[in-house]
Amino acid sequence: MPMLQTIGLNKRFGGLHVTNNVDLTLEAGEVHCLIGPNGAGKSTLFRLILGEHLPSSGAILFGGEDITGLKPFQRIRRGMSVKFQVPGIFKALSVRQNLEIAMQHHYPPAALGEEIDRLLAFLNLTADSTRLAGNLSHGQKQWLEIGMAVSLKPRLLLLDEPTAGMSPEETFATGEMVKRLNAEGMTVLAVEHDMAFVRQVAHKVTVLHLGRVFAQGSIDEIVANEDVAAIYLGQTTAHETAHEAAHA
Amino acid sequence: MDVGTLAFSALYQFGDAFAFLVLSACGLAVIFGMMGVINLAHGEFIMCGAYVTVSAAHAGVPLPLAILIGALVSAAVGALVEILIIRHLYDRPLDTIVATWGLSLIFTQGTLIVLGSTMAGVGTPFGSFTVGDYSYSLYRLVLCGMAVLVIAGLYALFNWTRFGVMARATIQVPHMAAALGIDTRLVYSLTFALGAGLAGLAGGLYAPTMTLVPTMGTTFIMEAFVTVVVGGADVFLGTAPAAAVLAVVKATMTSWYGQLAGQIGLLIAVIVVIRVLPRGISGFLLRERA
Amino acid sequence: MNALSRFFSRLEGPQTLGRGPGFWIGFLVVLAGACAYPLFSDGYTVGNTVYFFTWIFMALGLCLIWGYGGALSFGQTAFFGIAGYSYGILTINFGAAYGFTFVALLIAIGIAALFAALLGYFLFFGRISGVFLGIVTLSVTLVLERFMAQTAGPEWKIGAARLNGFNGMSNMPPLTVPWPGGDIVLFPDVQLYYVVLGLLVLVYLGLRILVNSPFGNVLVAIRENPERAEMLGYDIRKYQLGTFVIGAALAGLSGVLYTSWGQYITPSSMGMTAAALPIVWVAVGGRSDLTTTLVGTLTVLAVFQALTIHGSQYALVVMGIMLVLTVLLAPRGLIYALARLIARPFTKRQPGDA
Repeated sequence: MPMLQTIGLNKRFGGLHVTNNVDLTLEAGEVHCLIGPNGAGKSTLFRLILGEHLPSSGAILFGGEDITGLKPFQRIRRGMSVKFQVPGIFKALSVRQNLEIAMQHHYPPAALGEEIDRLLAFLNLTADSTRLAGNLSHGQKQWLEIGMAVSLKPRLLLLDEPTAGMSPEETFATGEMVKRLNAEGMTVLAVEHDMAFVRQVAHKVTVLHLGRVFAQGSIDEIVANEDVAAIYLGQTTAHETAHEAAHA
Repeated sequence: MDVGTLAFSALYQFGDAFAFLVLSACGLAVIFGMMGVINLAHGEFIMCGAYVTVSAAHAGVPLPLAILIGALVSAAVGALVEILIIRHLYDRPLDTIVATWGLSLIFTQGTLIVLGSTMAGVGTPFGSFTVGDYSYSLYRLVLCGMAVLVIAGLYALFNWTRFGVMARATIQVPHMAAALGIDTRLVYSLTFALGAGLAGLAGGLYAPTMTLVPTMGTTFIMEAFVTVVVGGADVFLGTAPAAAVLAVVKATMTSWYGQLAGQIGLLIAVIVVIRVLPRGISGFLLRERA
Repeated sequence: MNALSRFFSRLEGPQTLGRGPGFWIGFLVVLAGACAYPLFSDGYTVGNTVYFFTWIFMALGLCLIWGYGGALSFGQTAFFGIAGYSYGILTINFGAAYGFTFVALLIAIGIAALFAALLGYFLFFGRISGVFLGIVTLSVTLVLERFMAQTAGPEWKIGAARLNGFNGMSNMPPLTVPWPGGDIVLFPDVQLYYVVLGLLVLVYLGLRILVNSPFGNVLVAIRENPERAEMLGYDIRKYQLGTFVIGAALAGLSGVLYTSWGQYITPSSMGMTAAALPIVWVAVGGRSDLTTTLVGTLTVLAVFQALTIHGSQYALVVMGIMLVLTVLLAPRGLIYALARLIARPFTKRQPGDA
């Protein structure tokens, strides 16, 4: 049974058809990247999966269960978790308290402290645990939010541009984090511009264009696909342009 | 009573309620819609307009001119308040509410100390006319006309003048407006003054119909709140339709069970509306463009 | 000993100022002083002090809703009034025998809480937040005031209790403790002082435990970033509603104590001016902390009373000025700023902390 399945998903905003009949299937255990030029409908699809928008038509199945009408928190409780593009952390609270809020209902009080320490180490944030989250560097904020998302022990982790604004080194470290999480059994769906990151982690890539699924396959198939290259401003390779777009 | 006079009576009640809601709310709505600020001293700007109008009328100024003076003085006070207080709180909209509540306390009690607990009013002008068995105040019809005029005037101001274009640009993309050379601080000051001036106008217009007491602002403020909550952030797509809908509720409830029932009806209408349309009528009308 | 230290650890946490033996020794000293205070004073003054204390519950409730939960509720005095009137109606009808006044206290608080639950359901499940929450709750308060103000006619009575419009209800029995050999009537005097002081300590410590619990964690999370809190799997509407009801119940407790204290309640206790005062206390004290709210409320009330000698309208102008200045100059509260200043030399500054 697929981990996540969208069936004929449509979303219209007025006259705009932002998500057009999207069928997307995520198998359990895969790292799946969603790419596409600006305005391709990646964010909307993400919000539909999360339940922040309700689809105009179509269905979303999660682990075989129809979750189309559920509220976001109900989806989270079924084993989804998300890291937003703009870091969604509690800026005025300490790093440790951020994780505590995320984890307090998933561990017995006695084990909570130890689990937080373990996660802090995984995120390279041990030395910063008492700082206010708002005072972290940009990359650290992204990691903290990934940590909060991961701490729920989700079956499916949704990442919206996890490396936005990161240096190449930070991007690489983030990729290694994702690979370790995947090795522990987590299924990952990531929206990402940075093709180096996609190449590092993705088992499968879906290209969205104008709200539709434009192409699907392994990273090598996608990079070799001339139609995909064409939609990225008609330049030579998807790799270069996407990279430029990410750093623009 | 025949159908014609009955219909006139209902229409009169509706028009009266509509005028009160529009005039009470438009100043609050302009400031909220344009700046995201809820001005809890709104009632005190209304009171200011009423007091100034009546004082001017006592001094021999003709009433229409006195009302204009009331509105202008309120606008000036509004500009001052914006410069001294509101300007420093733009990034903290919730704190602005609290600060303006403090202002409301200061104005109400200050007026009480300086001018005493009540002020002699001026009589309602124009007298009355009768339709069927009932007599109606002509001045109420004037108020109704003024409400329509104010909406039309605001529409013209925001769509056809340089200030209107700059204000809308500032509201939609503040940093872009600033980058284009618009003095956004001035726009905010003028917008706040405009809202305060509209409140003063409402006070001046209603001054001849009510007793002048320092707490008179609270008579208006509940209706103003309710209209803005139901209307949402847009003055034209929100305030006017909201006032029309609420006027029906208020007029119906009032004519059946009295003034208070009208207010309770309004409140219940609001609570139901926000459950169904959290962003108000204008949010509902604009939802597809979001 | 172990159990005691565990108890103290639940009273402390990132959500409250004041921790460690130093703070708690100070707390006990203040408490001992408060207990000894009636020995050095006369019954009238002590009764007057109780009057201050009755307001603190409402302030702490607002601190919870606004300071911790981030929800602008301007309806605290509505719940205050509802509970006060309920207490009056109940005790005028059923008397004070057999400890009924305490039953009436609980019922009155229950009614206020129920009203809050109903209103809160529409507000929070309608996803009302920010400024709208403030103006809707304030509107409810103002309408309640107007409703009660027009109940002067003889047709407005519930059982034996006349509502009396603007003049308000009076002559309800004060809280009365059933006692073998004669009930103890808690007039504004030393006995009432100890009862209210006890309640205050209980509520203060209880709220400290609440805000430092997982519930409190979620509450501040919602204040900081509601979307993220929801994306961690929390149904934020339930947390907000729960907080709103607890805060309303505390306002209700204040209402009952006030009504019992003066045997008197009027509609103006819910009006625009009355509704502004809890905002002043909590904002000036420091809404983001229970202790600063408590100290701030007492301080502002004391200032207010000192000024009232010159006329209460002057005092209200000063309250307004204090509120405006606090928002402009010390947005987290004057007492809060002071507390941080005093605490600074004693705490290790953490790198990067603002």
